[in-house]
Amino acid sequence: MRGRSFWLFSLSCLAIFSAVCATVQQPDFELLSNDPSNVGKRTTRKEQQPGVFREYPAWEYNNFPIPDDYNVPGEWVFARFMYRAVPTWRGRLANWTIDYPRSDRHLSAAVRRLTRIQVRSAEEPVAAEDGDDIYNWPWLYAVEVGHWDLTDLQAAKLRDFLLRGGFFMCDDFHGSEEWAVFTESMKKVFPDRAIVDLPNSDPIFHTVYDLDDRYQVPGMQVTVTHRIAEKDGFIPRWRGIYDDKHRVMVAICHNMDLGDSWENADDPRYPEQYSALGFRIGVDYLVYAMTH
Amino acid sequence: MFEFLFKYPFDVFAKGHLVLMGSWPSWILLLLILAAAAALASLLILGRKHFTKALRGYRSVVLWALDWALLAVLLLLLWQPAISVTALKQQQNIIAVVLDDSRSMALKDTGNSRQQEAVTLLESGLLKDLQSRYQVRIYRLGATVDRIDALSQLSAAQPSTQIGKGLQQLANEAATLPIGSVVLLSDGADNSGGIDLKTLTELQRRRLPVNTIGFGKTELYSDVELDGFDVSNKALEGSRLEAQVSIRQNGFGGKQARLNLSGGGKVLASREITLNQSGKQVESLEFNAGPGGVKSLEVRLDPLAGETNLENNRLTRVLWVESGKHRILYVEGEPRWEYKFIRRAVDDDPAISVVSMLRTTQNKIYRQGISTPNELEEGFPTKPEDLFEYDGIILGSVEEAFFTAGQTDAIRNFVDRRGGGLLFLAGRWALADGGYNVAPFADLLPVQLPTRKNTFQRNFAAAELTDAGRRSLVCRIEEDAEKSNRHWEILPYLANYQDPGTPKPGAVVLARVDAGGNRLPLLITENYGRGRSAVFATAGSWRWRMQQPLGDVSQETFWRQLLRWVVGATPTRVVASTPNANLEDESHVELRAEVRDKQYLPANDAQVDAKIIGPDGSSETVAMHPEPLSPGVYAADWQAQTPGSYVADVTARQAGIPLGHDALTFRRENGEAENFHREQNRELLEKLAEQTGGRYYPPGDAKKLAREIAFSEAGITGREIKEIWDMPIVFLLVLLLKSSEWLLRRRWGVV
Repeated sequence: MRGRSFWLFSLSCLAIFSAVCATVQQPDFELLSNDPSNVGKRTTRKEQQPGVFREYPAWEYNNFPIPDDYNVPGEWVFARFMYRAVPTWRGRLANWTIDYPRSDRHLSAAVRRLTRIQVRSAEEPVAAEDGDDIYNWPWLYAVEVGHWDLTDLQAAKLRDFLLRGGFFMCDDFHGSEEWAVFTESMKKVFPDRAIVDLPNSDPIFHTVYDLDDRYQVPGMQVTVTHRIAEKDGFIPRWRGIYDDKHRVMVAICHNMDLGDSWENADDPRYPEQYSALGFRIGVDYLVYAMTH
Repeated sequence: MFEFLFKYPFDVFAKGHLVLMGSWPSWILLLLILAAAAALASLLILGRKHFTKALRGYRSVVLWALDWALLAVLLLLLWQPAISVTALKQQQNIIAVVLDDSRSMALKDTGNSRQQEAVTLLESGLLKDLQSRYQVRIYRLGATVDRIDALSQLSAAQPSTQIGKGLQQLANEAATLPIGSVVLLSDGADNSGGIDLKTLTELQRRRLPVNTIGFGKTELYSDVELDGFDVSNKALEGSRLEAQVSIRQNGFGGKQARLNLSGGGKVLASREITLNQSGKQVESLEFNAGPGGVKSLEVRLDPLAGETNLENNRLTRVLWVESGKHRILYVEGEPRWEYKFIRRAVDDDPAISVVSMLRTTQNKIYRQGISTPNELEEGFPTKPEDLFEYDGIILGSVEEAFFTAGQTDAIRNFVDRRGGGLLFLAGRWALADGGYNVAPFADLLPVQLPTRKNTFQRNFAAAELTDAGRRSLVCRIEEDAEKSNRHWEILPYLANYQDPGTPKPGAVVLARVDAGGNRLPLLITENYGRGRSAVFATAGSWRWRMQQPLGDVSQETFWRQLLRWVVGATPTRVVASTPNANLEDESHVELRAEVRDKQYLPANDAQVDAKIIGPDGSSETVAMHPEPLSPGVYAADWQAQTPGSYVADVTARQAGIPLGHDALTFRRENGEAENFHREQNRELLEKLAEQTGGRYYPPGDAKKLAREIAFSEAGITGREIKEIWDMPIVFLLVLLLKSSEWLLRRRWGVV
């Protein structure tokens, strides 16, 4: 009986999981255009227009309530980069949707509360395949970049976006294995630029808050495992890529999970000090992006 | 013909006045004329019933008028009318014969040079005629006027002509000598820009007529000549400048020519132009000022085949390109993308430094671009002198209530008194939405703000240039004007816009925004007091950077030019100037300096010196003295003897503390002036004669001059009475009146 119960339970889980996977409607990057030859060319005003707001089914949330004022424009919008993930036995998954849209909206609310920036309450998923839409959102965020596998078009568009003046922040990837995956794609974006540690003295840590004393921000898993680090990512690394004028273009948060700190800020189980630091880093990074 | 009919030259009637020589008083004449009119009228009235049909109506009146006119003329003749005119007493007066001895008189319009023709005219009888009536002194005219003993001393080699100066000298001589008149033989090619008012007034006061005889062709030869070269004498490093070149030509209409501008050994601008049929045109050349320093700019027109004079195809000016950065204080009330991309656009501009204070949170200010750690530590400057250290201010989305009353006053004085530039941007806390309707912001703005709120809209809108914007260098985002205008048509939409209201009179609208069919002013500029202000009614031009390809620098170019406009004309505490920076065969230079103290009020007790460095590297320091009627203004005169470019560095101190310094440039040319305007300047000669009571004579009419010159009120004169009763015109008039009456009577059948 015990054996049969186990098998029944396992089969049920498998069925539910499959059902869930089957209902996720994500863009299939394999089917979308991957031609980078037109990246960076002049386009028309029509092509430069942003698209209408849409919400995607996400890894963790489906049918997340949309705020009433989602279509009230703001100066800053949490723009989440939609990337192609590495292939797995389950196919290429929607890693880009981790924490989405809850963490996006929580950070938006925090920025609205803590700064004078006019913030749109709802986020904006941004795809490189969507014409020139990416250039409408000068601040871009990507999560779990230890699982990304940028297409040629995505890498070219991201590079052009950054060189024009955009800012990219990536977060929630841990350990050496995920670092290798991240850098493999990042090298497609900037084969010629080094990834360096951001010193404490860099203005990015001093735009609103002085963040000389930073600590590792764990994901929600800390409430279960009581381990701050994941995999072999024991030391938090605040890294970046500079432009020719020593301005941070790419802010890399390795061995930490700021997205979870925003997402779970209202969960009493999640330790408050991590959300506090997570928000402060988010605010500092954002204000840096808007001033440099 | 005039003299035949009127017995005397025209000047007798022009300069004399009518007198009646009869012994009876003139009121009797008037009475008799009226009595004659009445008598004839009564005859007409009494006899009208005997009139035939032919004489009824207006015809009898006409005959009455003719009879009355005849009677009036005869009565007038009885009173012995005459003209009383002042005339020079012969042999008691000096006639100054002045011959132009400049290089332009060596030109040969016909077989002989102009000077040869002048000498021939004098030697063919005119001089003898004059000498028979008056004492004659001969002078030669160049930069000054010198007396000569013989015509053979003329050489037509003087490097310039200064008619005004020469006449001023003669007017001074007339104070002690009985100079009755001046006879000027010249082509009128004056190099001092005309006869000054002071000289004319002096000649008129002395009633000294200048009779002119003009030589040379009156129209430009088959030639192309550069008539003017206008360009700023100061610029910021790397600025885009525009030079205006005036061109005159004759005989080359429709032809192509190449206009070049060079400086520092490099061609800065060059383009093909088409010469107008009208003979005059103004062409513009745009160029980059380049790095700091003093530059000699030369504009040159490539010679065309058939030109008679190639020396007038180039002109030179001096340009001072300022090194060092002008500082702009940018106050922003909220983090936004426009702030980032404005800072980026001018980040490596050699002439602009943006010092910014950004309200990141309600009580935190983020400072960037500061020169010391404590700059703006206390926030927006509270002392005017601290604010006046900047050259320009940008106000972003920051509400009026952010500033104290003292700070808003300081902002107004920053523009009005200090002469700084002020740029307003759009925002949800800017313009009408920021409460700028109240003074002093309302006064400083080049627009009348709307009275409603919610004028800031986060909707996309297209920017478009006005006619003024198309011509303005601020809006020039490409090297070529046409390309620039076309580029504006395809610029990405602005991310937002704000209704700035109505432009004030005197404001210039350079661009508009098309907001869903509603056109609103977008970029508006205005001069205010000593400074200037502008509104750029958007905070969404960052899309011009993000939505255009990497190599496109239009967003950066626009912002650099706009900010250079904001600060380019902002004066320092010392502003040096000279009324004439281009000395053509002239050595006198007048230096001026306007000096202000730390509060930018006129400094009346400053010590001001000008160190002048010449083209050979030698220098001389000149003390400048205060101008009594102009507070804070200092002046000095100096002589630039050597041709070439000069730099004058003017420094000012007050109680030993330096107030500041400024530099100006000027250039002395030698022998260049006579290459230009070689045709006879008949207009100048005629005007000079007319305004002094003389006459202009073409050489062919000059024989009359000896006689007509007599009627002058200068020198030793006497009154002459010229009887006019026996003028042929009088006889003809009487004949005309009588024969008209007879002819009319015959026509109407009443003879």
